[in-house]
Amino acid sequence: MAPLPALITRENFKSFLESFDTVLTDCDGVLWHEDRLIGQAHVTLNTLQALGKKVFFVTNNSTKSRDDYVEKCGRLGFKATKEDILSSAYVLAQYLKQQGFQKKVYVMGMGGIVKELQAEGIQSTGGEPEVYDGGSLSTLMDKMKLDPDVGAVACGFDPYLSYLKVMRAASYLERPGCLFLATNTDERFPVASKGLVYPGTGCVVRCVETVAERPATVMGKPSTKMFSVIQEKNSLDPKRTLMIGDRCNTDILFGKNCGLQTLVVLSGVTTQADLEKWAASDDPEQHALLADYCLTQLDDLLAFLDPKQEQC
Amino acid sequence: MTHQSSSHKRRHLPVATKRTSKTSPGVLWHEDRLIGQAHVTLNTLQALGKKVFFVTNNSTKSRDDYVEKCGRLGFKATKEDILSSAYVLAQYLKQQGFQKKVYVMGMGGIVKELQAEGIQSTGGEPEVYDGGSLSTLMDKMKLDPDVGAVACGFDPYLSYLKVMRAASYLERPGCLFLATNTDERFPVASKGLVYPGTGCVVRCVETVAERPATVMGKPSTKMFSVIQEKNSLDPKRTLMIGDRCNTDILFGKNCGLQTLVVLSGVTTQADLEKWAASDDPEQHALLADYCLTQLDDLLAFLDPKQEQC
Repeated sequence: MAPLPALITRENFKSFLESFDTVLTDCDGVLWHEDRLIGQAHVTLNTLQALGKKVFFVTNNSTKSRDDYVEKCGRLGFKATKEDILSSAYVLAQYLKQQGFQKKVYVMGMGGIVKELQAEGIQSTGGEPEVYDGGSLSTLMDKMKLDPDVGAVACGFDPYLSYLKVMRAASYLERPGCLFLATNTDERFPVASKGLVYPGTGCVVRCVETVAERPATVMGKPSTKMFSVIQEKNSLDPKRTLMIGDRCNTDILFGKNCGLQTLVVLSGVTTQADLEKWAASDDPEQHALLADYCLTQLDDLLAFLDPKQEQC
Repeated sequence: MTHQSSSHKRRHLPVATKRTSKTSPGVLWHEDRLIGQAHVTLNTLQALGKKVFFVTNNSTKSRDDYVEKCGRLGFKATKEDILSSAYVLAQYLKQQGFQKKVYVMGMGGIVKELQAEGIQSTGGEPEVYDGGSLSTLMDKMKLDPDVGAVACGFDPYLSYLKVMRAASYLERPGCLFLATNTDERFPVASKGLVYPGTGCVVRCVETVAERPATVMGKPSTKMFSVIQEKNSLDPKRTLMIGDRCNTDILFGKNCGLQTLVVLSGVTTQADLEKWAASDDPEQHALLADYCLTQLDDLLAFLDPKQEQC
C-alpha cells in the first residue's frame, strides 16, 4: 500500500504554491483536448506566470513543430515562446545533432519530426503515406528502393501507419549502425467519445520494434532527455520544479525520474479509480505512478489563486 | 557446418509405421517455390508408412487453399492433414460456443475458416486514412454492435484506422482477443529487406488494447490438441520439423515431440551456435534434437523405391 496523491485544497495550497519556482506542464489532457481548452487552463497558467513562476510546455506529441505549438498556444490564450516549448520531435532532432549525425533519417511520422530535423539541417525521407493495394508482396519487395544514405529511423505518431512503411523501417534497421529512435510510446490519446480508443505512438513503435527485434531509444517522457535539454540553457532546481501531467506512466514517472515534484490532473487519461488501484496494490511499480498531488483539472487552482495577487 | 554423421542420422530416423511428422513453410516452400526436392522427400516418407501433417502459422489461406497449393507443388495432402492457425482459431471459437461476430484484422484465410464453422465476421479488408481530422473520423466511425471478438492475423492492409477499430472493440467487456500467431518475420530471399510477420500486427494492437492476445499458433500447443481430437499420436514417436525455433521447435518441445530444425528458412547455423554457447536456459530451449541444411538432404539416405519398413 502507498499514499494517494494529496488533493490540493485551501489548507495546503499556500505551502504548495511556495514550494516551486518552475512548472513543466504536459499539454494534451491537461491544457487542451485537440483544439479545445480544458476549462480555464490558460487563465491558470497565465496567473502562475504573473506570480513569477516560469512555465515550460513539455509534450510527447510529435505531430507539430515548436513553431506550430507557439501558434496553438497563442491561439488558445497561453503565453509561450519557442524556447518555452519542449516537444519530443525537437528533443529527437537535438539528440541526433549531439551525436554528430551526418546521414539521412527515415521518418515514420508526421510533419513535426520532419520540420524539427530540417531546423537542425538534418535530411529526412518518408513522413508520407505508402499504401498496399493488393498484389504480390514479394514483387513489391523486389521493386522497393531503399535510400542508401539513411542511417536512422525515427518513429512518431503516424496515422499513415501501413505494412509497407513497417517493412521499409525494419529494412533500414537491418543496416549495421542504423539508429532506432522513437519520440514516445504513449499507448493512447485521451479521448472524449465513449467506446472508442485513440491509438497513440506506442503502437507504431512496438510494431516496428517487433520486426526489428530490438528496442527503440525513446526521446519523450518518461525518459529524462527533455529535462536535460531544458537544463542546457537553464539551472532549474529539480526540488523546486513541478511537473503537471495526466498520464502517470509518462508525465509523473518523468517527473520522478528527474527528481521533480509531481501533480496529476484527472482531465485526461488517468482516473481516480486508477490512483486508488495503484495505492492499494503491493507492487512498487504501481506505487511509482502515484504523484505527490492531484486535481480534477488544472483550473481548480483558480479557486485558491487570486488572478490579481501580487508576486510572492 | 556440422551435420550429424549419416549413420547417426539413420539410427534416429523414425522407422516404425505409425510415426508422424509435421512441417511448415520455410521448410517445404518459399512463397510459391519449392525448396529443393521437399515434395519427393515427404512423398517418400509417406510411402514408408509415415503419416504427415502440415502445420502452419500462416493465416492468409484456408485449408482448402493449402490443399490446392500442396497439390500444385507435388505434395500429397487432404484437408484433414492440414492444420493452419486460422483453422485452429475457428475451432477455438466453436469450442467456446461463440455466438457473436468476429472483427478480422487479417486476410481471407481467417474469414473462410470462420465461415466454415458458421461464425460471422466483419473486417478483413482495407481501411485507409487519407488525411483530415482524426477526431472527425472517430465521430463517424461505426462499430458493429454484434462484434464479440477480435482476430488478428497476417495483415498487409495494416492501417492506423484498423488498429483504432480493433482496440475500440476490445474495450467491450468480455470481448475476446485472439491472434493466429506472433512470428516476427517471414524468411525472405532479398538481401537487406525484411518481411514483417504477423507479430507486428498483434503487438501493435496489444499495445493499444493494453492486454495480451490469446495466440492460436505455434509455439502454443493448440494445434496439437486439435490433431489429437481425431488421432492418438504418441508424442515421443512424432517428429516436428521446422525452420523457426521460437515457434516450430518450441511447439514441438511443448508437445513432447522430437524436433528437427532445417536451415532453409529463418534459423542459421550461427543462431544455433550462439544458443548452444550461451548460459541462458531460454536459448537452450530453442535447440532442436536434429538439424539439416534443408529437408531434401534426407534423400541422400532415403531410397525412394525402398519397401515399407
